[in-house]
Amino acid sequence: MKRRALLAFLPFLPKVALACGRLDPGQILRGRFVQTRTLQGFTRPLISEGHFVLSPGRGLIWRAEKPFAVTTLISSAGIVQLVQGNETLRLPSSRMPMLGQLYDMLGGAMAGDWHALERDFTVARSGEAQAWQVTLTPRHADNAAMPFTAINASGGCLVEAVELLKPGGDADRLRFVDQTLTSGPLDADEAAALAVLTR
Amino acid sequence: MRRKLALLWLVVMLAASLYLGLRLANGLGWRTDLMALLPRDEQDAGKQRAEDAVTRALSERVVLLVGHADGQIARQAATTLASRLTNSGLASVETLVPGSEAIRRLGTLYAPYRRGLLSDADRAALMRHDGASVAGRAVSQVFGFLGVADARLLRADPFLLLPGFFTALPTPFAKLQPVDGMPMVQDGGTAWALVVGRLSADPYALTIQDRLKAALDLDGLQASTPGLQVKRLGAAFFAEAGARQALDESSFIGVASALGTVLLVLLAYRAASPLWMSLLVIAVGIIAGLATSLLVFGELHVATLLFGVSLIGVAVDYSLQYCTEIFAAADVSPQARLARVRMGIALGTTTTVIGYLTLLLAPFPGLHQIATFSAAGLVAAWLTVMLWLPTLDRSTKPRHGRGMLGWAARGLSLWQSPLRRGVGVAVALLIAGLGLSQIRMQDDVRRMQSLSAPLVADQHEIRRLIGGMGDGPFLLVRAADDEAALRLEESLAPRLAKLQQDGALADWLAPARYVPSASRQMENRTLVRAELDPMLAEHLSQLALSGEAAPVDDSIPALTLQAAITAGAPLGAMLVSPGVHVVLLDGITQPTLIAQAFTGVDGVAFVDPAGQFSALLGKYRLRAIGLLALSAVLMAPMLAWRYGGRGALRVMLPPTLAVVLAPALRALGGGDFSFFDAMALVLVLSIGVDYAIFFAETSTERAPVTMLAVALAAGTALLSFGLLAMSQVAAVHSFGSTMALGILLAFLLAPMARGGAR
Repeated sequence: MKRRALLAFLPFLPKVALACGRLDPGQILRGRFVQTRTLQGFTRPLISEGHFVLSPGRGLIWRAEKPFAVTTLISSAGIVQLVQGNETLRLPSSRMPMLGQLYDMLGGAMAGDWHALERDFTVARSGEAQAWQVTLTPRHADNAAMPFTAINASGGCLVEAVELLKPGGDADRLRFVDQTLTSGPLDADEAAALAVLTR
Repeated sequence: MRRKLALLWLVVMLAASLYLGLRLANGLGWRTDLMALLPRDEQDAGKQRAEDAVTRALSERVVLLVGHADGQIARQAATTLASRLTNSGLASVETLVPGSEAIRRLGTLYAPYRRGLLSDADRAALMRHDGASVAGRAVSQVFGFLGVADARLLRADPFLLLPGFFTALPTPFAKLQPVDGMPMVQDGGTAWALVVGRLSADPYALTIQDRLKAALDLDGLQASTPGLQVKRLGAAFFAEAGARQALDESSFIGVASALGTVLLVLLAYRAASPLWMSLLVIAVGIIAGLATSLLVFGELHVATLLFGVSLIGVAVDYSLQYCTEIFAAADVSPQARLARVRMGIALGTTTTVIGYLTLLLAPFPGLHQIATFSAAGLVAAWLTVMLWLPTLDRSTKPRHGRGMLGWAARGLSLWQSPLRRGVGVAVALLIAGLGLSQIRMQDDVRRMQSLSAPLVADQHEIRRLIGGMGDGPFLLVRAADDEAALRLEESLAPRLAKLQQDGALADWLAPARYVPSASRQMENRTLVRAELDPMLAEHLSQLALSGEAAPVDDSIPALTLQAAITAGAPLGAMLVSPGVHVVLLDGITQPTLIAQAFTGVDGVAFVDPAGQFSALLGKYRLRAIGLLALSAVLMAPMLAWRYGGRGALRVMLPPTLAVVLAPALRALGGGDFSFFDAMALVLVLSIGVDYAIFFAETSTERAPVTMLAVALAAGTALLSFGLLAMSQVAAVHSFGSTMALGILLAFLLAPMARGGAR
């Protein structure tokens, strides 16, 4: 009986950051990002920033605001890119064999779920709980479908930076700030955005 | 003379047996393709050929979907099945979902032609002078979450036209995701892995089906892997299940009708010799029928066996006519007994063979075999009665003859009085009118075949899990050459896009979507030159791309279909021959809407294989009724020569009434009328004319003997056709029911033919 009463109060508890470390299914990570893309043959890095919503198991909403407003939706089903509400790209995973795994990798890295990555990468950890680093190296160097040569991540309570190194010297460096972790559901806009992926 | 002929006939039959024995020893090639029994569209041979090619390609496909709670196990089992398929030497394994290697190879081939390859969206933007949105899309992809571009690609293709073209291509089997090269789909708690094979051998040959079954050994695989599910789809599986059923049924029907006939003959004659004489006649008939069919057609269809074996039961009628004469007069010689029935069975054989031979006029290859089998068997049976039976006959007059004839005489008295005949005919006509007014036509070919229920369930499940397998209706595009066909497809695209928007179909796959026509490619290059090239410098500076864009060469020829196929573009199923293409339609919900959209479009035909077979069945149902009238007309001169005009009418009355009453009674009982009922009526007419002739030929004192012989004949025929009516195959069931009912009626009405005999 007591237990029931407690359960009834649960929805009214304030949404607070839960335990550090790995995101559990049902938890949602929101925050801002700054992406610095270094491409060989470009005179300067391409820098974009915006905010993101990650719902493990559901998908990732990546809204770049500067310099161009581009929304990218990605899940294991595939990827959709929208410019001013118009689809400029739609790729089901069946079209790009690595896409589903790519989502697992990026989502896993952002959520601090290294376990999901151990199939494709060897995971090396260093540092302490409040300031750690993780280095991922692909297990099969000859896998043509593997888009990364290495992934480096670092953080404290949550993942704060991810570095994706690609063959040929290209790299994406992501910094995450203003992150909040909640256990509530996606809001209507977010749910609608992710639903576009499976349409 | 007679002796010489009998010996000659013996030589012929020995040769036939030897030939048959040799063929059987080499293994008979049974045909199981039910569609082979159906008529062809003879009006447009080119269209028919193209449709045949599409249907054949489809029938060679073997689809196996392997499911297990553990995806690893499902993939393992699928890999095992794929290697079993390849190792069997019967099939090659196909990739429906190209892997990354294949996609890269295609990308390399397409790259030089990129300026001619525009997605519909990019092309539309350029045509409305909106190059900016194309540039914006490229920039968004460079900056976006996934950097899908690198400097090398951007220098060669600064507006990312080729990636745009590739991503706009239709995605068949989008639900499937390759996992380590194996296309898989997750459904609830089950992971499914897909294996698709293409048979290199005839999917309708029973031996191939057996070898395929043995090579796959699905039962063994499932036994060794608990929880493993396997769904199957393919013409070979359906045909195998259908053929098994037909062979099972025909052996059951064969044995049951043979046993029934033996019992009936033994009961009637209480002597052995009529039995073995009748069996000899049947055996000769079957040997002659089989040997002739094999000689003419080179192979046999299982349906020939099914229909043919029961039709041969009619052959026993002539031996029964002869044997029953033993009841009649005291101690006449076999030759004298034969002389009394000679005219009757000669006329009977002739009219029946006329009936069967009209089947040859129907454009059904399968029915040609049945007609040939039956006609050859009947003539052989007749010759055996004429040439061998009197010599072999050692019968003595049976003691129970008086009782048997008494019963027969009572049966005869039914139609004795003219009043009764009048009332009988009137009642028959009334019932016929009532029944025929309620008759329902049934031409749906899907209802005519009995498809194995578990396989149909598998088919639905596979459709649900991975989408349509391209086995439904399609558009056939025919033009002078490939270029013209591609242009025609491009002109159809807006219509198809509209239908897609309206939800009439989910998507379509046309060769022109993978390789635009040369003229479209040249047009696109002009558009890119006019709309995008002037923006290039600004675009590159926005991207902060260093160095120069790669030089442009718009003078190279356009990408060709041939080059695309060589590089592995998945176009095989869509190219029939130069200028003849198939547009595959996926997820059709409103076939009629699609059919309407393309009626009257030159060079384009909406092809619904099942629907067209149904339409043809309807057409040939009418033609079969024409055959019925024709065979009546063909018999008439002979009957008129023998019985005069009025006599011929009297002989024709009972079978005609049977032909009209049988479908009327079937309709009153709730049955449909299909082409197969119509074909049965053709045979009811010829068998019914036989019975009427036997009565017309008899004298008043011999009438009870004739009655007895006809009753026995009808009894044996009912045994074989009545059993056909029990078949699970709707077509065979219809045929058997109408035959059985028709023969019963023909027998009951036949004594009416007696009155006016000379």
